[in-house]
Amino acid sequence: MSGKLLLLNRRQALTGLAAGAAATAAPGFMTRALSAPKTIKIGVVQPTTGPLAFFTEHIPFVLDQVKKSMGGNITVNGTQHPFEIIIKDSQSNPNRAAEVTQELILKDEVDLIATFATPETVNPVSDQCEVNGVPCISNDAPLEPYFFGRNGDPKVGWDWTYHYFFSGQELVETMIPYWNKLKPGGVIGGLWPNDGDGIAQSDKDHGFPPVFEKSGFKVVDPGRFDMPASNYNAQIGAFKAAGVNIISGVLPPPEFTTFWNGAAQQGFQPEVVYVGKACEFPAAMEPLGDRAIGLTVEVWWSKFHPYSSGLTGQSSLELCDAYEAASGRQWSLPLGFRHSLFEIIFDTLKRTQNLDDKASIRDALKATNYKSVVGTIDFSKGPFPNTALTPLVVGQWIKGSKYPLDMAIVDNTTTPEVPLNGEPTPIKY
Amino acid sequence: MAGAWANQIVQGVLLGGLYAMFAMGLSLSAGVMRFINIAHGDLIVLVCFMVLSLAVGLGVPLLLAVAIIVPLAFVAGYVLQRLLLQRVLGQGVLPVILVTFGLSIIIQNALQGTYGADTRKVPAGSIETATIHVVDGINVGVLPLTIFVAAVLLVLLLDRVLYRTGIGARIRAVSDDPSAANLIGLPSPHIYAIAMGIVGITIAISGAFMAVWTNFDPTSGPSRLLIAFEAVVLGGLGSLWGTLAGGILLGVAQTLGGQFDAAWQVLAGHIAFLVIFTLRPQGLFPRY
Repeated sequence: MSGKLLLLNRRQALTGLAAGAAATAAPGFMTRALSAPKTIKIGVVQPTTGPLAFFTEHIPFVLDQVKKSMGGNITVNGTQHPFEIIIKDSQSNPNRAAEVTQELILKDEVDLIATFATPETVNPVSDQCEVNGVPCISNDAPLEPYFFGRNGDPKVGWDWTYHYFFSGQELVETMIPYWNKLKPGGVIGGLWPNDGDGIAQSDKDHGFPPVFEKSGFKVVDPGRFDMPASNYNAQIGAFKAAGVNIISGVLPPPEFTTFWNGAAQQGFQPEVVYVGKACEFPAAMEPLGDRAIGLTVEVWWSKFHPYSSGLTGQSSLELCDAYEAASGRQWSLPLGFRHSLFEIIFDTLKRTQNLDDKASIRDALKATNYKSVVGTIDFSKGPFPNTALTPLVVGQWIKGSKYPLDMAIVDNTTTPEVPLNGEPTPIKY
Repeated sequence: MAGAWANQIVQGVLLGGLYAMFAMGLSLSAGVMRFINIAHGDLIVLVCFMVLSLAVGLGVPLLLAVAIIVPLAFVAGYVLQRLLLQRVLGQGVLPVILVTFGLSIIIQNALQGTYGADTRKVPAGSIETATIHVVDGINVGVLPLTIFVAAVLLVLLLDRVLYRTGIGARIRAVSDDPSAANLIGLPSPHIYAIAMGIVGITIAISGAFMAVWTNFDPTSGPSRLLIAFEAVVLGGLGSLWGTLAGGILLGVAQTLGGQFDAAWQVLAGHIAFLVIFTLRPQGLFPRY
């Protein structure tokens, strides 16, 4: 018995050596090494620190779940392969994100890269992967700033990089019915900074303003501004002067706090406030206390979404409960997308024909049609090449029971399968 | 419309109070002690993080935290001058700049290593959102007003100390001519160090206010330094009231620029600085 085991180990070792030799000598002749276990390296680029750090709080929990459900190995074509996940910090800085991606590709020689959290992270990472021919899967950046921010051509698309999230177009279509219930014909003040999201949303031709205006709203856009901003006096002044009653913007949490405190200091009291990036995080909302109640959230995933994970079998609600039990922190939107990122990674790897060939991994990624915890991901449907659209509804923060704040789904016009559990209400002062 | 402009000017003046606060210490070291402290902004950010650690990390009440930091900052300023800056003083302009530049890099990286790159803010409770309704269309935040009043009081106090007290006279004497001061028996290293200790106090106060009013991260020092520099140069070297005026001018220029287009906010401040600097290189109220 022990002799047989030894022999097997020796043979495995020999095959491994042969594969190694083949890999160094001539990568073209590696077909024979196919069945040998190969450590699959998955690179992850994320803003662990910096103003976008809020986006990464779920990663330790998600990785823990992945380890538990996969056991550190993945079976591809009947062979068990160990996998390794290498995480790099972008420090919320696009240049740094590109740098660490290069490190992952050139130094760690990863097979696949995953990334998330705003165009400032996703775009530079995707660009590096595209240039170096490494498959890249990403989420949590709206489709337009992802696609057009990288100068994508809708007729051509890309070879190596794939992305799924909601789109700006979808966001507008989701928000307008909700605003129409609260403030039809209202005056919208745009808080659009000088970054990927802000530029895409404020675009006079393809952004939000023309769509808002077509739906009967007036738009006040005080212009792009650089962050960190020491104050929002100029914007608040312009909004007050124009009688703005709806805020539509996209700011990281600390910036929103500066704006919201400034608004209170200057007696500016809009009735509907929707600020992407900031308002979706309970941790960023809690310090605001009661002044968070009534703020609007674009809900790209919640514990009420009627989908479940293909990796662990958990429903959205079960995933949230597991997270709250494990971390002692309240669930938030990114949890589903962090989880789904690994669902897609492992689904792709499982369907890969030849793990030694990055193009083969890419082909599997391209062919993805997968029911994840955030909905169905299918890159063949668009709206742009290399992208998949995920559902979107509108939520508001209400006074919570277990935690200081709870989220209520208040409008589901665009995705009726997500159940409603609240009525749209203007902010009370 | 006129109301909106008036409002922007009011907000700009209040913002100027914070800028003057940043610039006060620099005004002292550049104008009175005649050297440029490149690490000034980073020292302010260092104080911000100290306030953060005390107030958020250890739960010390904010005012107590400031009360702890102010004497500490005086001692730190004294020691910094005595042990480090004094060694390179009087050897031309460049060595001091290089030493403080090095200090700036050390502080930034030490903060990044200790606290990470996250953007922080110190919560100050209800004062952050408290507001006073002045007239229709103009509201004044209690916190910015407090900072403005504190800046005015600080200028008043420092001006008194420099021009009405014995130690102020000694500081000015040493600053005017160190060798003559030494001749009549003034211990110039000690006096310089006391002046730097006073600078430390202003840094502590402005850092504490900045921690409460705006976001900060380990690398936000240099941008504070730039604004402080402009305020000092605009106001004229050596004049503390001038620094206050310079800060207000920058604050108003920024908010008025922002009223045209938010993208103009920062630029407008710099343009105002350039224009005045070209027309009046010695600053508005130069003392030397």
